[in-house]
Amino acid sequence: MRPTTPRGPAARWRLALLVLAAALAAAGVPAGAQTPRDRFTFALSGSPDTLDPQGTAATLAFQVNKSLFDTLVEPDDEGRIVPSLAESWTVSPDGLTWTFKLRPNVRFHHGKTLDAGDVKATFERIVNPATRSPKRSDFAAIRSIEAVDPLTVRFVLGERFAPFLATLAQGWGAILPADLIARNHEFATRPVGTGPFTVAEWQRDSLIRLTRFDGYWIQGEPRLREVLIRFVPESAVKVAGLLAGEFDAIDAVAFLDLPRVRANPNVRVIRQVTSLVNVVAINNSRPALRDVRVRRALWHAIDRRQVLRTAYGEESVPVNVFMDVVSPYYVSIPDPYPYDPERARRLLSEAGAGGLTLDLALPQPYPAHIEAGQLVQAMLQRVGITARPRVVEWGFWLSRVFAGGEYDLTIIGHTGKLDPDGRLAGYGTPSRNYVRYENPKVEDLILAGRITTNPELRKRIYAEALKMMAEDAPMVYLGTPVLYMATRQGVRNFRQLYAIDTFDFRKTTK
Amino acid sequence: MPLVVKRLLAVAPTVLVVATVTFLALQVIPGDIAQVMLGVDARPEDLARLRREFGLDRPLVLRYLEWLGHLARGDLGTSITYREPVARLIVARMPVTLSVAFAAMVVAVAVALPLGIVAARRAWSPGDLAVLAGSQLGLAIPTFWLGILLLLGLAAAVPLFPLQGYAALSADPVEWLRHLTLPAVALGTERAAALVRLVRGSVLEEMTRDYVRTARSKGLAGAVVLRRHVLRNALIPVLTVAGLQLGYLMGGTIVIEQVFGLPGLGRLLLQGIYARDLVVVQGAVITIALTFALLNLAVDLLYTAVDPRITYD
Repeated sequence: MRPTTPRGPAARWRLALLVLAAALAAAGVPAGAQTPRDRFTFALSGSPDTLDPQGTAATLAFQVNKSLFDTLVEPDDEGRIVPSLAESWTVSPDGLTWTFKLRPNVRFHHGKTLDAGDVKATFERIVNPATRSPKRSDFAAIRSIEAVDPLTVRFVLGERFAPFLATLAQGWGAILPADLIARNHEFATRPVGTGPFTVAEWQRDSLIRLTRFDGYWIQGEPRLREVLIRFVPESAVKVAGLLAGEFDAIDAVAFLDLPRVRANPNVRVIRQVTSLVNVVAINNSRPALRDVRVRRALWHAIDRRQVLRTAYGEESVPVNVFMDVVSPYYVSIPDPYPYDPERARRLLSEAGAGGLTLDLALPQPYPAHIEAGQLVQAMLQRVGITARPRVVEWGFWLSRVFAGGEYDLTIIGHTGKLDPDGRLAGYGTPSRNYVRYENPKVEDLILAGRITTNPELRKRIYAEALKMMAEDAPMVYLGTPVLYMATRQGVRNFRQLYAIDTFDFRKTTK
Repeated sequence: MPLVVKRLLAVAPTVLVVATVTFLALQVIPGDIAQVMLGVDARPEDLARLRREFGLDRPLVLRYLEWLGHLARGDLGTSITYREPVARLIVARMPVTLSVAFAAMVVAVAVALPLGIVAARRAWSPGDLAVLAGSQLGLAIPTFWLGILLLLGLAAAVPLFPLQGYAALSADPVEWLRHLTLPAVALGTERAAALVRLVRGSVLEEMTRDYVRTARSKGLAGAVVLRRHVLRNALIPVLTVAGLQLGYLMGGTIVIEQVFGLPGLGRLLLQGIYARDLVVVQGAVITIALTFALLNLAVDLLYTAVDPRITYD
């Protein structure tokens, strides 16, 4: 067959395509160029569900909300509680009455001046069932809130509750304006707070553009005019964007990407020990696992350093108690059950648990836990335990494994809480912890810690509880991984508050 | 047009079945919105309280009927996780997903049609074999992987295209096109690979027909026979499949939206499933089902334009 197609139209099409390609390429030039000095682009792994701080429990939401709202108190870099909207506070000797003195001349984004009525209305909103706040029970101890004068607010608690101050410092303690609460304002999409930035644009699942709130109460802050947060789930894309200069900072670098990122002279890696404790959780209610010798044998069988190094990164820190290493409540004790497969086999045969077969549930959204699971499986094999790994979807893990207790072993990370009670509440009481761990003494100590306001005494109480837990080996504590973030070279004061797992752009410059 | 009315009426039960199946499926899979929301901090009493506040403790049938009642009034409900009306969420995302799906289809057709025709005209030549092999490869490459490769090459290493996000057509048509190019190529390649085989087969089959021999014996040039006679007939099955694929792409953009950070319907659906946010999932699935049904109808109507012999009475 001869090609007889007329040349004219085809040639015209080709030309048109060439022109189009050239136009697209020309429009694409600025993509890799530097953004203006006062505009900061940050890549975050996911999108907030809602911007109403009382309507969510999602870390991603609080990572954005931190720039829109303030809390009465906040954690500093060491996790200590310092003043924010409240200048100072006092506690009555019985620990039941908390009086906060508010900072004067703080303005909300819509112009209203902050007063005690706003604080009262805020906490009344979160405890109101109609708000349907997932964090409501954190404030269950509050019996009444009183606006004593415009700048003094008093909380009366129904019971002593030592974590109260820490609770106020969390993202869900954000202060909202009373007048908008009264008008049933939609904070979910149009947040109004006292924070350093306001929302200029929000494309769900794509980006949120924050602009400086000129009336912010800290003189000279925020220093940036605009923060553009892009929601980028793919870690390869995040790293590529950082290296290309499209992002000024990214929230996480996978440790396998580290050499490549570190090799780039235009980029700086920030290392932050997290508040996570990764564990191999053991279902203590299973007949075979009820025996403490079997649980200790699991510790001896697992080379924790190897698991940490391979699955969670070289610099992960092993922990021997159920507390993150950076917490002031961490107690340093020697490894209670060092890696020793021979000893593990002995303990297992003493307990009559030879040839044990265990189910190992691994949560699908966490590739690192899945990898750790494969290592654990191989290590257990060496002492004669057959672990059967199964990867399960997150909702499934939460309902069946975590809540339902349908598992023998599972691997998970426990995020830190500002207050140790957040991590420890429920341990010792089998119906109130997911590993079904039972020890009435530990239970009593944790309850005592909850109502003890003297910090030194509190530390001693928790230290005792943590040591007892290590003795009982209700789970195999692996350790605390290190979080790597990265910024472009010129970025200064990019702050990550490990204690509440959020970012603070107030002092950031580039 | 009676046909259109009839077909539109037939869409309603389809959507109802889809809605019911989705509703039931979400009841069967473990976990609920309260559980996912509270995560590993969940205390039993908090779970119970939230379930009560979200209305999850009421009987299944009651919740279903209530939701159906709202649907009949055109109310898709309010999302618990997003705290926004679902209709608003969907309206914001439809243009993104439709743009990606259409752009991918344009890429698929633009690649598959010429290649398929050329391959058919030179059947079993080295060129044809190359097209067939290429199509095999195109089918085998996962779209997310191709997407990441394109991003690393044409957005990061050589910054021709934006790395992430979406720009509305109304705001800036050039930016809109730039944001769509890479996702459309990534998604369109796989569709093109499937379509090229169909085009080739269909053209080959038509070319063996008697009317082609007759046309040729009348002295018509090969290209004219192809254009005037073969393609018209060969394109009917192609049109059918392309139409169905467009519907398929409506749901198939989920992965590509994730890679390119596109705030589309697919991502909304995926997050809705992860969060067990029933109203979001229901709303998104119904929207996709409805679009699919309407696209089918549009394809049926297009037949009459392509082939005058087809009529609907």
